[in-house]
Amino acid sequence: MQAFVGRHASFFILAAVVLVQLIFLGYQVTRKHNVRLIQMWAAAVFDPFERSLHGLTNATAGAWTSFHDLSEAERENQRLRDELAHAQAQILLLSEDGTENAHLRELLNLQRQIPYRTVAATVIAASPGTSSVITIDKGSKNGLTTDRPAITSDGILGKTVAVFPHTAQVLMITDRASGVGALLEKNGSEGVLKGDGDGLCQLDYILNENQVSPGELVVTSGLDQIYPKGLLVGRVESVRKGDIYKAIAVRPAAALDRLENVLVILQSSDSEKPAKQPHKRQ
Amino acid sequence: MPTRKPADQSAAVYRIHPAAFWISLFVGLLLQVSLPLKIPLARLFDFPLILTVYFALVRRSKVFGIALGTGLGLVQDALSHGLIGMFGIAKGLVGYLAASASLKFDMEQLGARYVLTGVLVAVHRLLVVGLQNILFESAPPFVPLDLASAVIVNVALALICYQVLDRFRQPA
Repeated sequence: MQAFVGRHASFFILAAVVLVQLIFLGYQVTRKHNVRLIQMWAAAVFDPFERSLHGLTNATAGAWTSFHDLSEAERENQRLRDELAHAQAQILLLSEDGTENAHLRELLNLQRQIPYRTVAATVIAASPGTSSVITIDKGSKNGLTTDRPAITSDGILGKTVAVFPHTAQVLMITDRASGVGALLEKNGSEGVLKGDGDGLCQLDYILNENQVSPGELVVTSGLDQIYPKGLLVGRVESVRKGDIYKAIAVRPAAALDRLENVLVILQSSDSEKPAKQPHKRQ
Repeated sequence: MPTRKPADQSAAVYRIHPAAFWISLFVGLLLQVSLPLKIPLARLFDFPLILTVYFALVRRSKVFGIALGTGLGLVQDALSHGLIGMFGIAKGLVGYLAASASLKFDMEQLGARYVLTGVLVAVHRLLVVGLQNILFESAPPFVPLDLASAVIVNVALALICYQVLDRFRQPA
């Protein structure tokens, strides 16, 4: 390269000299509107590049704007998703609040309907073991004692088995250790309801000759001296003949797997007085 | 016609006494601006061009030819109150071409020297016309007769000038 330049040095000098003078000439000559020729030359030389650069800049700016908008849209989308999730959570909370409100209202109605002194309690814990025991937030300070029936608006739940100053444990009717005096509402056959430890109960001591059909209502008989007579226990799930007694499976009416609020009957005003049909008979 | 130099023939380079050189330039420029006032035909003379061609041929240096042509052209531009650079470009190119020709051909022959002068006068005139057409929206029209006249007149002028100037050159 240096050799080439050195060999043609005079030519490059000539080109430089001519170029400088041309620029100077362009500076001296003016065309229309007092525009110098050198300005026109410069414009002619740079205009295509300027236009290209402008186009490139516009394209780049457009691409950047698109990217920015896309990014903004992505953020907006994420924000809206978050808001949606938040709104859904609020709806769920409100729905739960509404459900809880409905349950409390039903419980209040039940409390007004039954002729017993009751205490409303909230289920605060479930049994950590295999037994079907729950813990409620009311105890001896609230007047609770052992062997007090706990009910819901749907049916009986169980009885208190351990009472502490501020809490109490309730043994649910589905526990194997549970026993409830019950009768079939249709024919009045009395038996003893025991839990099978698997979410259902067994109504024992119903003779084979009694007509029992699935769906039949089972209510408390009051003979156990714990549960007042006439409280809904559940419905007959299945019936089988046994040696002497039928094997009757009863599904509890109360939703034992999602308990929230319960009523504990403290003392019956008249232990023989039957409940005034507090339950919805379906 | 100029003849190509044999490869083994060394080029003869001459030098002009600086005083003669500068005086000739000064006189040439002076005549260029003063003679047309007295002699109408002298408007066709181009003393700076003849001096450029002569010294470029004698010195056989392209850079010298460019510098001398450009310098004389710029002074001529300045004196003519025209655009500075037009004659500078044209004469710079002529100086370069003259020096290039002197390096390739034997310019000691008088015929070759005058033919080359005629050619360079034509080139110079064409360059000026070309530049005028580039620079001006309404350039003066190109008249071939003017070109021929300029060539003839300046070659004739060169016949005299070269003879005078040859008296002042010495082998370098």
